[in-house]
Amino acid sequence: MSTRTHSALAHKSTFNVITKRLLHFLKTRAFFSKTDSIISLCFFTALFVIIYTILSWAIFDAVWTKENVAQCQDAVGACWSVIDARYRLIMFGLYPYDLHWRPSLACLTIVSTIILSCLPKLWEAKRLSLLWLVGFTTFFLLMEGSLLGLKQVTTDQWGGLALTLFLFASVVLVGMPMGLGLALARRSKLPLIRYGASIFIDLIRSLPLLTTLFIAAVVMPIVLPDWMTGDKIWRVIIAFSLFFACYQAEVFRGGFQAIPKGQFEAGDALGLSYFQILSHIIMPQVFRHSLPGTINMVVITFKETAIVIIIGFFDVLASANAAFGSGEWAPYYMEVYAFVALIYWSFIFSLSQYGAYLKKRMRIAIH
Amino acid sequence: MVKILKPVLTTAVAICSISATQMSFAESPTVKTIQDRDTMLCSGHNGSYFGFVEVNDKNEWKGLDIDICHAVTTAILGDPSKAKIIPLSWAQRFPALQSGDVDIIIKATGWTMGRDTELGLQFSMPYFFGGTQMMAKAELGVTEAKDLEGGTICVEAGTTNERLIADKMATLGVDYNIVSYEKNSEVMAAYQSGRCDAFGGWGPSLAVLRSSQMGNPNDNVILSDTLSNEPIAAAMRQGDEGFVDTVNWTLAALLLAEEHGITQANVDDMAANPTNPTVARLLGSTPGIGERLNLRETWAKDVIKAVGNFSEIYERNLGMNSPYKLERGLNNLWSHGGLLYAPILD
Repeated sequence: MSTRTHSALAHKSTFNVITKRLLHFLKTRAFFSKTDSIISLCFFTALFVIIYTILSWAIFDAVWTKENVAQCQDAVGACWSVIDARYRLIMFGLYPYDLHWRPSLACLTIVSTIILSCLPKLWEAKRLSLLWLVGFTTFFLLMEGSLLGLKQVTTDQWGGLALTLFLFASVVLVGMPMGLGLALARRSKLPLIRYGASIFIDLIRSLPLLTTLFIAAVVMPIVLPDWMTGDKIWRVIIAFSLFFACYQAEVFRGGFQAIPKGQFEAGDALGLSYFQILSHIIMPQVFRHSLPGTINMVVITFKETAIVIIIGFFDVLASANAAFGSGEWAPYYMEVYAFVALIYWSFIFSLSQYGAYLKKRMRIAIH
Repeated sequence: MVKILKPVLTTAVAICSISATQMSFAESPTVKTIQDRDTMLCSGHNGSYFGFVEVNDKNEWKGLDIDICHAVTTAILGDPSKAKIIPLSWAQRFPALQSGDVDIIIKATGWTMGRDTELGLQFSMPYFFGGTQMMAKAELGVTEAKDLEGGTICVEAGTTNERLIADKMATLGVDYNIVSYEKNSEVMAAYQSGRCDAFGGWGPSLAVLRSSQMGNPNDNVILSDTLSNEPIAAAMRQGDEGFVDTVNWTLAALLLAEEHGITQANVDDMAANPTNPTVARLLGSTPGIGERLNLRETWAKDVIKAVGNFSEIYERNLGMNSPYKLERGLNNLWSHGGLLYAPILD
């Protein structure tokens, strides 16, 4: 009881602070002089008109359910009926309709894995890797099914948001350690490894992602013998991870370069081994320094998964395309794109918020 | 050494080819592979191509091309659900066929010389005809290309449409401006905003856009000139005549069924009481049709039972029973003024 009143009080006081600040801002900045007032008025009116137009399109004048689709023809607002009728296509692509509980559960697993890995309690290399291994394996087993004794659904039927999440998670999961390995190889004292790594990184970075993926998906099965080709999705994930790793290696390298040489020497002087120096002194700092770049890479990767549409994967964008790609839904492509944009936005916004939170925590760790 | 080897090789090749011709009617390695696998791999699309390859509310493929795939699958395996549709992009379709990712490409693919020779493909007989056409606003009062004097035409950049329109207008001696855009949706947006008077593209796509995305269909007219006529056919890997025969005769069966009034609903009755000898041969009441293709005697009957005749497939996906309501036009049987005809079933 007391905590509730306390929090309510705190809430009220923050509210007061915000109103005070807003009033202060309006007095000192927006309406300070006559010119200021005119400019501010114009700006606020324009802002209001824009927001009102968007809201009335998206909410006030919108048609919501698929049963009311007939109203869409005359409606001035959005026709969300298309989402109501086709959201399962956007979410799960070509996955068999009766088995949709499996990708739903799988997506839930991966999302909760992401959320769990935000908890500071689990921030330990062992726990975090175990968590991801479990989350990722559960996702795969649920989607594929045959190992759990369920009906097998091969990867060519995967699609929609589930496929996008799978590609994203596996690329980051495979690419991150590879990137770290490449960054370490690039700092190696052995010239062969050092030059090998830098030539490899430059080679992959000089190829566009699309070319890399196209080679993996389309050219490889022609060149390689049958037993080596494997499933298309794995070839693409490996190629995508290599691409990710090469960029991520450079991000890590930036982190390494920020650390003064003296720290290595101090570690040596204390008699620590190479791996002890790395894991106790260097790596925690490297991670901290390379965090903004890493978050950037992860966000870019999430968006770049959309490229797989070109090599015939049914990712969230492709299934959105299919969602309005039929006669009765064709006029409502704006609504479908708005919906997909909202999905992308919510994932990427949460990712960058998580990044900001991590940075804050790590700053506390320094002082 | 070379001198001796050459005649030996020639003889060997000759003997092989003689023994090959003496083999039974149509021994096809591809059909054999499909039967062993018990699945047929067809091309789909990474998204949707109006009327030809779409996805319905139950996340299942549908469309004219999908139905043709189901027809071929039924002919070979007896069950349309044994078709597996692999999503492919336009750029990926031919490499995917060569690498064996799919058995056949049925994906609004035009039969061109380059594809037939350089790419090492083999085409079935055409099952659809569509050409470059132009669409204009009805309020302009234009009905054919020569009415577009001084007008602006929007097209997708780098397509054959652009060149064909230029050729046509030069032949007619009409003054015009051409504006090209990278993507089809940009062309459409430009046309709708009034940036251009006419819009050039593939006829069936224009008709689909007109009927489903541009408000009242009567606000826009498709001009009568057909600038090209592209035969759409199924593409297969070179060197398997037996498979081409199977696909061709599946298409023929769909057309023959339409010609003789056999539908999905009455196919069983027709098989029991054939109205003429061709129907009897087609539906396997008189044996022969199966043995010649190394398939079941009832394969054509099964196909019609599974997907219907060609008219039913067309009307369901593009015609009057679809949202697009396209006239059959060139895609009618020859006896109704179209270009489609079946070879003779003797």
